[in-house]
Amino acid sequence: MISKYKFGTFMLRFLVYILLFLLLLITIIPIWILIVNGTRSTTEIQQGISMIPSTHLFDNYNLLLSKGLNLPRGFLNSLFLAAASTIVTVYFSLMAAYGLVVYKFAGQKLISNLIIVLVMIPMQLSIIGFYRFMSNLGLTDNYAALILPLIANAGAVFFGKQYLESMLIQDLIDAGRIDGASELGIFHRIIMPLAVPGAVTMGIFAFVASWNNFFNAFILISSIEKYTLPMLVQTLRGDVYRTEYGAIYLGLALTIVPIILIYGIFSRYIVSGIAMGAVKE
Amino acid sequence: MNLAKIRKNLTGYFFLAPFIIGFLVFGLYPVINTLALSFTDTTLMSGHSHFIWLDNFKRLFADDVFLRAVGNTWLIWILNFIPQIGIALLLSVLFTSIRLKIKAVGLWRAIFFLPNLLMPAAVAALFNALFAYYGPANQFMVRAGYLPEAMRFLESIWVTRGLVIFIQWWTWFGQTLIIVMAGMTSIPVHLYEAAMVDGASAWQMFRQITLPLLKPILIFVFVTSLVGGMQMFDIPFLLTDGRGSPLSSIQTNNILMYMKFASSKGHIGAASSVGVLIFIMTSICALGIFYFLRDRDLDAPKTTGKQLLKKNPERSQS
Repeated sequence: MISKYKFGTFMLRFLVYILLFLLLLITIIPIWILIVNGTRSTTEIQQGISMIPSTHLFDNYNLLLSKGLNLPRGFLNSLFLAAASTIVTVYFSLMAAYGLVVYKFAGQKLISNLIIVLVMIPMQLSIIGFYRFMSNLGLTDNYAALILPLIANAGAVFFGKQYLESMLIQDLIDAGRIDGASELGIFHRIIMPLAVPGAVTMGIFAFVASWNNFFNAFILISSIEKYTLPMLVQTLRGDVYRTEYGAIYLGLALTIVPIILIYGIFSRYIVSGIAMGAVKE
Repeated sequence: MNLAKIRKNLTGYFFLAPFIIGFLVFGLYPVINTLALSFTDTTLMSGHSHFIWLDNFKRLFADDVFLRAVGNTWLIWILNFIPQIGIALLLSVLFTSIRLKIKAVGLWRAIFFLPNLLMPAAVAALFNALFAYYGPANQFMVRAGYLPEAMRFLESIWVTRGLVIFIQWWTWFGQTLIIVMAGMTSIPVHLYEAAMVDGASAWQMFRQITLPLLKPILIFVFVTSLVGGMQMFDIPFLLTDGRGSPLSSIQTNNILMYMKFASSKGHIGAASSVGVLIFIMTSICALGIFYFLRDRDLDAPKTTGKQLLKKNPERSQS
């Protein structure tokens, strides 16, 4: 009886690992082909599939740039935009979350509930009106239109609120007050340094969201020297590169490799950030 | 009211002021603007703008372009959501099983989540290249003998739809897994121990303990996925020609809205009405999910939609 159970467990475990391995292949293979093909010449790519990198990385890179695509510029644009978005999101969201957690005031409940509703509102409902508004202000084709709305980033405020609630901060605030620090000073000098782990998680999500954001940038940005990476990726599919597969793959690979590296370093923060809140309460 | 209390009140408002002002200016005003535009014939090219009551909406329902886009969006969302939640539930059960003791659960989960972080624009372009006429998919299929000759995958309605569904599933199953598994690990172990003493089977335990206690999490996943799925844009837009080809089979709500916006005249009035209708449709469905799946069992703790959403609105998904 016992040995039969053990054998059953063994077989089941075996099947589970096969399933996991299959899912692993499905997850990894498209990404791996992408990276490998970025290092192969177009001829090699047309000859067949390979899982082993080749030696044409620099040829592909030169080819990619030779057709007038300013990938380094797009890279810097995206980096600047993502960095600015991250700073604005983290600072203002922590500030709002701090206000909601620490102070008692009229309308507090209302704002807390409003944040939850806001997260659920699809961007389709606001984007056209937002475009019109920005064009009236002369802010279309300006990164400000992509950064300023993040001052009120409901999802990030919610996350910050969850995070600050899990920290015991009241004593620290009282200590700060006794030392004569201003309320804003307490937030800057006591709370922010303590909230670094939460801020990192929030920041990674903000960075990735901005880095990958195509739709809003596509609607609002029009001049080619301001194009972000996702917008340049879209031009990669055009006629200019029709037969230069190696260059296309390399261009795509270069846009996702930074994110894979960030994930390699911070995956713990990211996974726990998603799980956090799901189990709370 | 004493002075200290007023001052404290004011400090709270001070910390929330940027958020509130940002929300009013960049959140609420654009929504009102969109709503107002949806009743007009405003275009980007001409200055004039007339109030035309519900004409935009009537026009949307008059030709089948809008209804087809809605149908496409629902089809793609449902067919990716079912395997997504199915795999997430299955893997969560396997990963949390005391009997199986699967190794390196954290690592598996982390790898399965990776596609979620990759730029959708690049992923769409990647699959466009993989399934091109001279692409690796054809090379593989022909050489392995599955296809007699290379196929124009991206000209086939069902292959293209299948690809969008697959990419959506590929992108989101890892995140759903993390959320569902977090919910499962928070179920108290003693419930399962008691059931085991009573001689319950694994399936009975899943059906009677896991599923009911997981319901809030499942509703959360359901609603966030719905809201995200109805906004699907990058993948179907960039996989083919940006108009939902072939034969508009992957033309989603948002692609239609974008096409109206980017049309030669820039019909932002008509585009707004698409956005408004999708919002109404999504809201009704989300409220419906809350209503029909709410706890009707009097013994169980009451869970309202609001409480459910409170649990994790960090990221909406598709």
